[in-house]
Parts: sequence; structure tokens; C-alpha cells
Amino acid sequence: MNPQKLAALLVPFVVTAAGMCCLFGRRKNYFDAFLTGARGGLETAVGLLPTLSALLVGVRMLSASGALHDLSALLAPAADAIGLPADLLPLLLVRPFSGSASNATFSALLKELGPDSFPALCASVIMGSSDTLFYLFAVYFSAAGIRRTRYALPCALAVMLFCIFFACALCRIFFG
Amino acid sequence: MLGKLFGILAGAAMLYGTLRGQGEAVSTAVLEGASDAVSLTIALCGMMCLWCGVMRVLQEAGIISRLARMLRPLLGLIFPHAARTGIGMEEIAANLSANLLGLGNAATPFALQAMAAMAEHNPDPASATDDMITLVVLNTASLSLLPTTLITLRYAAGSAEPYAILLPVWICSAAASAVAVLLCRFSAAWRKRP
Repeated sequence: MNPQKLAALLVPFVVTAAGMCCLFGRRKNYFDAFLTGARGGLETAVGLLPTLSALLVGVRMLSASGALHDLSALLAPAADAIGLPADLLPLLLVRPFSGSASNATFSALLKELGPDSFPALCASVIMGSSDTLFYLFAVYFSAAGIRRTRYALPCALAVMLFCIFFACALCRIFFG
Repeated sequence: MLGKLFGILAGAAMLYGTLRGQGEAVSTAVLEGASDAVSLTIALCGMMCLWCGVMRVLQEAGIISRLARMLRPLLGLIFPHAARTGIGMEEIAANLSANLLGLGNAATPFALQAMAAMAEHNPDPASATDDMITLVVLNTASLSLLPTTLITLRYAAGSAEPYAILLPVWICSAAASAVAVLLCRFSAAWRKRP
């Protein structure tokens, strides 16, 4: 079996592992644990809707106005020169700031270009291997009462840049 | 911050759309966006329920703490100070294993506990320690084996192969994490605290 297919089995494998706990677990009622967790997940997912409704409308409006398309066209030569699809630009702009905004931009991009198109695949890999940099900084460092973050920001930005270029290079190898 | 972003998006769209004569398309986009937000939430709901439930089961079965224990020796190399003193080590291990399993929501509280624990023993309370910086930068690289939200969004958009990106995501996030650790260790050695 090829590694891609094998990778796809990990998700059902983990689900089955939880199923086996429910089937053979004697120590606790594991299905109760499942229900508690699932209820929490439901609350989180529904809790995202208010934010998502505003941001997805904003992204869709901007996309319909033609501004995103024109901006991508304008930047396409420069983006091509450094090896990035120009369509990624809106996603790259919001990714460091907010998870909801990047989910909204990401799903708008998938819908517009098709989820299996090359820019959408690059966007998927970037979404999977980066996080909301500035948001994390704000939350984590304020939890520790830190005002001077020293070399943290340059390092994190360098990692983000590396991730963007490496993701596109990988997609060229895997799907090119 | 999100409010400002919403304002900028809507304002720019209104202005540009009117100038370009795309007013009608922008009007339709409002309806589309609002109803898409609901279908997106519904698409995410099922997976979020399932996954949070599955992770809760694995947590109660002790599998997540076992994973955290397996990570310990490796973490000693990445967080030398925390490993030597033991401060925050437990929480760091829990944070990274929750991240590995694609449980972002559960991972954040562990990271915050780790940051708070390290802050208690910080010789210079306003400055970040090397281990704190490594933890934050490592979290921005999002090392994840099971990016379930990403896969669900791809599935919801009608992808023929929602899982196809899994292998490149692993390679990319592993490489980004390695770069993060190397950069942080290098910077720490180069800019020793006075």
C-alpha cells in the first residue's frame, strides 16, 4: 500500500482505538467519557458560528467585489518568481492573526478554486502546519506576564516563512 | 481585532465593488457568506463532536499521558532548563501530545499552565525565558498528526481526496518544528541572558 493511503488509515485507527476502549474497558464507562467529550466539542463548534458568520461574509464580499482577484493578478508575477501561487495571498495575510478568519478564508479559497486544485493543496498544507502566530503570542506570553519576548518573534516569523515555502515545494513534489 | 478585520473586509469590498460595478455580486455574497457559515459549522459539528469524544476516551484510558511519558526524553533536549528543574515539564509534555493528536482546544490550557509554572520561577519576570520562547515558537509550527478540522473543511468543500494532504502536512510540520527548535536553541546560545 502506498504511504498516502496508509496515512489516511490513521484517523479511523484512532477512532477504532476509542471504540475498543468502550468495548473492553472494565475500569470506567468509556462511552460516558465519549459523550462528555463530544458535548464539549459540539459547544465549541456551535460557539464558532457567530464569529464565522461575520468573517465569512466579509471574505465573500471582498472576493465578490473582484478586489481579491485583481490583487492576485497584480501580484502573480512577483509570487510566481518566488514560487508561491498568488491565490494564497489572502490566506497568508490572515493566517497569523486569527483561526476563525483563516478557516473562513481557507474554505472560500477551496470553494473558489476547487479543493483539489494546486493552490488549494498548498493552502491545505500551510493550514495544517502553521498556527495563528500573533494570537498565540498574545495569549501565551500574557499568561506568563511577559513584556519582553526577546528573540521569540523573529524566530516565529522565520518558521512561518519556512513553512510557507516548504509547503509549496512539497506540494510540487507530491501533486506537481 | 476581529471586529476591525470585519470592518476592513466589508468596507474594502463595498468600495471596490461599487467602483468596479460589482455591487450586485457583493449583495449576493452577503447572503451566500451568511448561509455558508451555517453549512460550514454543521460540517464541523459532527467531526468536532466525534473527535473530542474520541480524545476524551483516550485521555481517560491513560493513552495521552502514556504518549506524554514517551515524549519526555526527547523533550529534555528541547527544553533543557525545564527538564533539569522539572518545572512545567508535565504540562509541556501534555501540551505537545495533545497537539500531536489534533486537539488544539485541549492543548492550549496545558500550554498556559506550563507558561504560568515557568513564570513562577522566572528570575526576570518581565523577560521570557529560553524555554518559554521555545514552547511558543514550537506551538506556532503546529506539529500535528491528525489535523481533523483541516480534513473536514476539505471534505465539506467536496474534495475527492480529503486525506491526500496528510503526508505532506506531517513532513511540513515536522520540518517546521525542527527549524523552530534549532532556531530557538541557536538564538539562546547566541544571545545569552546577562
